[in-house]
Amino acid sequence: MKRLMWRIVALFRRARITEDVNEEISAHLEFATADYVARGLSPEDARRAALRSFGGVSQAKQKYQESVAFPLIEDLLRDSLYAVRGLRRNPGVALVAVATIALAIAANTALFSLVDPLMFRDLPVRDPAGLVEFTFQFPRDPPLNSFSLANYAGYRDDNHVFSDIFGFAPLVTRARPGDEPIAAEVVTGNFFQGLGVRTALGRLLEPSDDQPGGPATAVLSWSYWQLRFHGDARVLGTSIDIEDTRAPAPMHATVVGVAADGFTGVVVGYPSDVWASLSTVPDAMRSRGEFSLMARLKPGVSITQARAEMRVLDRARIEALAKRDPQWLGVPIDVTSARTGLSTPLKRQFGGPLYLLLAMVGGVLLLACVNIGGLLLARGAARQQEMAVRISLGAGRVRIVRQVLTESLILALLGGILGFIGARIGATILMRLLIAGTRAPGQTPSLHVPLDARILGFTVAITLIAALLFGILPALTTCVSSPVPPLRPAVGAPRRTRRLFGDGLVIAQVAISVALLSVSQLSIAHLRHLRDRSLGFDRDRVLLVSVNVLPTRTRDQLLALYGEVMPRLQAIADVRAVAASATTPIAPGAASRFLRAEGFDEPAQGRRRVAMNWVSPNYFATYRTSLLAGRDFRDGDIAQPRRVIINQAVARHYFADRDPIGRHVWLENDPDPYEIVGVAADAKYQEVRDPAPPTVYTFAPIVRGSTTFSLRTDATPTATAADARRAVEKVFGPDSVRGVTTLTEQVDSALVPERLLALLGGYFGAAGALLAAIGLYGLLAYTVARRTAEIGVRMALGASLGDIVWMVVRHALLLVLTGIAVGLPAAFWGKRVAGTLVDHLTAGGTVPIVVGASALLAVAVLAAYPPVRRATRVDPIIALRAD
Amino acid sequence: MSRDKADVLYGTLSMLILKTLAAMGTLHGYAIARRIEQISGDQLTLKQGTLYPALVRLEQEGWITPKWGASETGRRVKFYAITAAGRRQLEAEEAEWQRAAGIVRRFTKLSGDEA
Repeated sequence: MKRLMWRIVALFRRARITEDVNEEISAHLEFATADYVARGLSPEDARRAALRSFGGVSQAKQKYQESVAFPLIEDLLRDSLYAVRGLRRNPGVALVAVATIALAIAANTALFSLVDPLMFRDLPVRDPAGLVEFTFQFPRDPPLNSFSLANYAGYRDDNHVFSDIFGFAPLVTRARPGDEPIAAEVVTGNFFQGLGVRTALGRLLEPSDDQPGGPATAVLSWSYWQLRFHGDARVLGTSIDIEDTRAPAPMHATVVGVAADGFTGVVVGYPSDVWASLSTVPDAMRSRGEFSLMARLKPGVSITQARAEMRVLDRARIEALAKRDPQWLGVPIDVTSARTGLSTPLKRQFGGPLYLLLAMVGGVLLLACVNIGGLLLARGAARQQEMAVRISLGAGRVRIVRQVLTESLILALLGGILGFIGARIGATILMRLLIAGTRAPGQTPSLHVPLDARILGFTVAITLIAALLFGILPALTTCVSSPVPPLRPAVGAPRRTRRLFGDGLVIAQVAISVALLSVSQLSIAHLRHLRDRSLGFDRDRVLLVSVNVLPTRTRDQLLALYGEVMPRLQAIADVRAVAASATTPIAPGAASRFLRAEGFDEPAQGRRRVAMNWVSPNYFATYRTSLLAGRDFRDGDIAQPRRVIINQAVARHYFADRDPIGRHVWLENDPDPYEIVGVAADAKYQEVRDPAPPTVYTFAPIVRGSTTFSLRTDATPTATAADARRAVEKVFGPDSVRGVTTLTEQVDSALVPERLLALLGGYFGAAGALLAAIGLYGLLAYTVARRTAEIGVRMALGASLGDIVWMVVRHALLLVLTGIAVGLPAAFWGKRVAGTLVDHLTAGGTVPIVVGASALLAVAVLAAYPPVRRATRVDPIIALRAD
Repeated sequence: MSRDKADVLYGTLSMLILKTLAAMGTLHGYAIARRIEQISGDQLTLKQGTLYPALVRLEQEGWITPKWGASETGRRVKFYAITAAGRRQLEAEEAEWQRAAGIVRRFTKLSGDEA
């Protein structure tokens, strides 16, 4: 501590201290000389003897100064200046290195700024690690956090493991009548206390705000307060509208406070601007299971303990529900950590792919570092003489290593700055892609690309790591190079150690890029499988027009509408087939019923739900789903509508070895049987990632509420969109069309995580291959250049062109094949890891890995071509004269 | 600064300097160097250049204080004197040396017996 202070002071008194040192040392030498003279030496000899007994004067001065001040900082400045000069002398190398590292850092930072707010960031509340949420999960469904206020009160009053339990439910509000609706939540009175949110203005909601019939109160988010009320404190006491579809009329709530800056609720991606008290809630909502519940663990209580207690407390709810549906017995309540916010479809769908991408982009960074390391190594070879001179002149090895590391640090910092800027742009684009892929109807997530210390810290950290990674090897080889030999003019092959390092770097690059390419091929194959191979219908060239159908229409009216609209749609040019259905594949809407089948007995608990659709004739023809047995619906079925077509999954489960045609099934809440007239091939229903569920298609030309017309076209489906819309509006009235899209779009919008993975994964794989190719090219080109004289000699001695080509190609092949051999285990390991992150990703087997390795081999051949060509162009005469 | 062999040498050197200053009072650099050499019976040939970094370190630790003054020949020189903290440090270092030397002595005896 004392020494540190001393040094800081010394830093500013540099000149004075240097002077003192010189003075002290010259005094010393004078005394010593005088002593020697007194012993009888001549003045010159005495002076020499004095210097000898002193040792190195300049070393002593440097030592002295090092202990006086911060040599590190000063040397760093000097090294930096020197490094910048060196880089400017060789701008090509610097440019390539900076561009490579900038791209790698940009990709890493962009991805991190996407993943961090979604997956890693703690909620901005007191002790987020103590927060948990309650969920339950039906098999194959996502977990749900959905409880009634009665459940809430029961858990809250009876548990011993939580210091607080609190909940909220989504609402719609308007700041003033006529304003745009804004996202809001109704919260229990202990919501803010339980979370530990700080107050910016006024007060937050309190348990006393829960009283039914009490004054309706609301709290604003900081950002909304700034945006809408410009941070005006007079907002306290003003009234805002609380709307809810279940309430007969909007309620008014009085603003009592503003929450601290940064807090936007507990659902990442769906920020809330207003929190309203429970007293604003219509009575109908209190009993329904629409509240998401969270809790704070008492100190020292583990999640496992809390889960055990909640399972006991929750028994009453389960038993009540099980009376209606025994399935509930298999769906116990769960307690999971909520420190980064509630689990949402956004997190669940994107989590795995984003982690995998993060791992891949990390691989790209590593590859970039190895690549630049090779580049600097080659340049270091060119500078070997310079380094040797410096070492012979007495520069310490540590100083030289530091000098080389400073250079790589400067390259990395330049790359880091550029990369950070690039990442901002990249992350914004990625975020837009990600948001486009969440299909919660009516709710668009809003996630901002954060710009804060965390992101900056991440960039700085990876920049420093990169600098160290690509700087260390050149620095070390400089260090081991002995001063003497390079001082002689370089002749023939480069020194062996350096060559081994260079080869090793290229092998490493090939290995990493094989692993990267393989995983990227896996994700591409995965997308292709989901999008094309396993749908059970043909997604290309189908236009979807969904239309509102008044619920008051009678059956006869519906039939009339059907009879009128179908010919009009069929008459549109390029339309090949038309069908109507209640829902369409991979659309958000879904229906399911319990099914009972003739001749199939099962206990009530084991009954399964089947997916339902109501379709017109030609539905299967339009979707190109083949009928395996029986027949399609036809217009004649209108007279006898109790007929169904089942899919293969239903046939397999309920009619294992019997012919289902002509047999009967019963649907939930419907005493009369339906006759099976056909069996269709399996096709995906709502969820594109799940296998096709057992599905029953009921005959119904037009369904009340909403019906979608599917038009299979010969041309681009969007070309017929205007005609189709016009035809539908003519029959169903103006403004009856809810939406027009294509089946491809509908499928793609369900696959955004997979598309993101395939797209970025593809880029990363390609970038990896490119880097490895550049590395290989660089090494071969360098080797050929160094061996020009040798090649000349060989040619002069009669080596054929083939021999020369083989000499270079053999080197290239050796590197690439070794790299692939090292990379394949890594690729298989990567495949296993990827499989744990993204379900079914590894379904493609080893084919993608083989494709990845072969692709790399092809790229390597391309990269080797120019150096090989140059080797064959060597003119022996010129080559031999060169030295 | 790393703790390499040179540093260990400094450690010994700093004890020698402190001891010299404790015994002789205020001295300038050359005088310290000569004194160390003399006391060791010229057994120890000090690279006198290494003395100055050691002096700085001791000064930074607050064990000695410098003062500019004039030598007997009238030359401007820097004099050093030991401080109270320096004396405490010297005692500690001497004790440590005695202990270390004792251990080494025992070892050399041991190997001698066995040989």
